[in-house]
Amino acid sequence: MEVRDLRKVFNGTTAVDGVSFTINRGEIFGLLGPNGAGKTTTIRMMSTTLPMTSGDVVIGGHSVRERPGEVRRLIGVCPQEIALYLELSALDNLVFFGRMEGLSKAEAVRRARANLELVGLAERARHRVAKFSGGMKRRVNLAVSLMNRPELLFLDEPTVGVDPQSRNHIFDTIEGLRDEGMTILYTTHYMEEADRLCDRIAIMDNGRVVALDSPRNLKASIGDPDEVTLEDVFLNLTGRRLRDQG
Amino acid sequence: MTEMSTFGSRPLALAGKELKVFFRDPQMLFFSLALPLVLVLLMTAAFGGQSRFSVTARVVDLDGGPLAAELTGRLEAVPGVTVDLLDPETAERLLEDSDIVNLVVIGEEFSERLAAGQAPDIRVRLRGNGDTEGQIVNSYVESIVREMLGESLVARQVQAMLAEAGLEVPVEEVEARVGELFAETRESPLVTVAEETVGVRPEPIAQFLPGMVTMFTLFAISLTSVSLVEERRKGTLERLMTTTLTRAELLSGTWLGNFGRGLVQVVFLFGLAWLFFNVLTLSSFASIILFGVVAVASVAGIGLVIAAVSRTPEQANWIAVFFTMIMTSLGGSFFDTSGFTGVMGVLTRMTYNFWANDGFRRIILEGEALTSPPIVKDMVVLAGIGLAGWALALALFRLRGDDK
Ligand SMILES: Nc1ncnc2c1ncn2[C@@H]1O[C@H](COP(=O)(O)OP(=O)(O)OP(=O)(O)O)[C@@H](O)[C@H]1O
Ligand SMILES: [Mg+2]
Repeated sequence: MEVRDLRKVFNGTTAVDGVSFTINRGEIFGLLGPNGAGKTTTIRMMSTTLPMTSGDVVIGGHSVRERPGEVRRLIGVCPQEIALYLELSALDNLVFFGRMEGLSKAEAVRRARANLELVGLAERARHRVAKFSGGMKRRVNLAVSLMNRPELLFLDEPTVGVDPQSRNHIFDTIEGLRDEGMTILYTTHYMEEADRLCDRIAIMDNGRVVALDSPRNLKASIGDPDEVTLEDVFLNLTGRRLRDQG
Repeated sequence: MTEMSTFGSRPLALAGKELKVFFRDPQMLFFSLALPLVLVLLMTAAFGGQSRFSVTARVVDLDGGPLAAELTGRLEAVPGVTVDLLDPETAERLLEDSDIVNLVVIGEEFSERLAAGQAPDIRVRLRGNGDTEGQIVNSYVESIVREMLGESLVARQVQAMLAEAGLEVPVEEVEARVGELFAETRESPLVTVAEETVGVRPEPIAQFLPGMVTMFTLFAISLTSVSLVEERRKGTLERLMTTTLTRAELLSGTWLGNFGRGLVQVVFLFGLAWLFFNVLTLSSFASIILFGVVAVASVAGIGLVIAAVSRTPEQANWIAVFFTMIMTSLGGSFFDTSGFTGVMGVLTRMTYNFWANDGFRRIILEGEALTSPPIVKDMVVLAGIGLAGWALALALFRLRGDDK
């Protein structure tokens, strides 16, 4: 999958300013950057929900601009916000979105149970999402995006506001998916997450990609990779600390 | 496109989700089902008194004996009759002031004379000609007294015959036995006059129910059209945008969800009316539900338009309330507007409520059949409104940026 000179202008302000990169099949690709860097905007354009101002994205040989319908079959999106029906149970949510992907009811129920198992919520399947903790909601949010067994999965800050236990569970799930051959685009502003999970990382700032390489190479570019952190890399590239805004 | 094969299952799943959410939302259930019911009952209680049959018998009892008590007891037992026992002075004053126009006076010797088998001491006093209520009371009193006198005479006769045959039975015993027999025949009369109501009586609840049903189906559906707009904000709509769901499927599913909820309301409210308020027969209930299907299909289309034109939940809320209020008052949910002419006549006919009210009222009040020309016309117009809503929503609603 390939992103070519992607640009987004929201009435006057440029949120994404000429981003290009390629993601190889089967890798976890990190999109790293501070708040407002343009990560979510990039994902929304890539996942067909936000029209791009210019540029294009090609996924599985299909242009998002030209053939968004084909692209939608290949992708799963776990949005930054919890996008679930809180009044419904976890199972009902998964089954519903599965059916919206065109699955039969029986198949949707089967996959929903498997996915809830995967994120460790099998016993809570019939509980209302409204009663779930933040971390559990995040896990359901992730499970929904797997309903169509996507080849390419977009994860937009899937660990925000999650306790360490849920976070580790989510990491294990993601690594498991990668081992099964899924390609994953992962955004975060937690450097150590990106360091642990990602095969390659694009560091974004102000709508631009300021560096792109494996975590080790990025660190090696400014010093001993075992000594420095991605945080130092970001500081070195932009002159600012990543966590300034949060 | 291979996706076409799944069209039909997705709108159903969408509608199923909508209904599930509806039944789990206490606020929506309150506004859709409980509030209209409460309002109908309140309106019935407030304005419904007059048309139900009920009369008050004003009685002065100068006798105070057991048979006088028996008389007032039997009078009270007549359905729809309440007995108001007055003391002589009050009764006199009320009659004098025309506060009452009819008074039953049980004389001092009533019990004594009746027991002796003599014409009893009872008078009816009317102010002017009395009124219908007075005449009804008088005829009840007359027939009860006649009955009691008959019982007394029979008891007397039986005792005399027994005495002739040489059997000395105390008169009280004979009276008691005869009284029992008469009471039994009253309980299960051998001869009854069949009472038949043609059509269904226009109970007050039948007058208010149609207007409330149209108002609240519209209200509930315009309220829930907020939910589609809310889905934009919640992110669930964006999530739907990344599935292969099409805009037509989403609109169909939303329409179907609206339709399902509206049908729940119609069945619930008219169902209660049928089961507990005796204002519908089985066949008129069936007619009203079938008519309701068309009405709800129409209002579901309107809900779709509101959802399609609103950009924010606040906007949708505002449109929902404004729209419901205008349509409801113009369309005659509170009072009958079918006599309106000129501009008002045109305006009222532009509302969903007008056509739905007309059909519901014809069925519930006049007992008209679904095939009667005015009702067919109502249904055609309602179906037209529904289709227009659908077309408009399809033209206005964009699920994704790439929707054409
Ligand atoms: N719908 C929109 N309309 C106008 N401006 C927007 C819109 N969405 C995003 N922006 C702006 O675009 C810029 C990039 O936002 P974006 O959400 O992509 O950042 P992000 O990297 O995902 O940040 P975060 O870590 O906070 O999620 C921000 O300045 C934001 O204010
Ligand atoms: Mg973001």
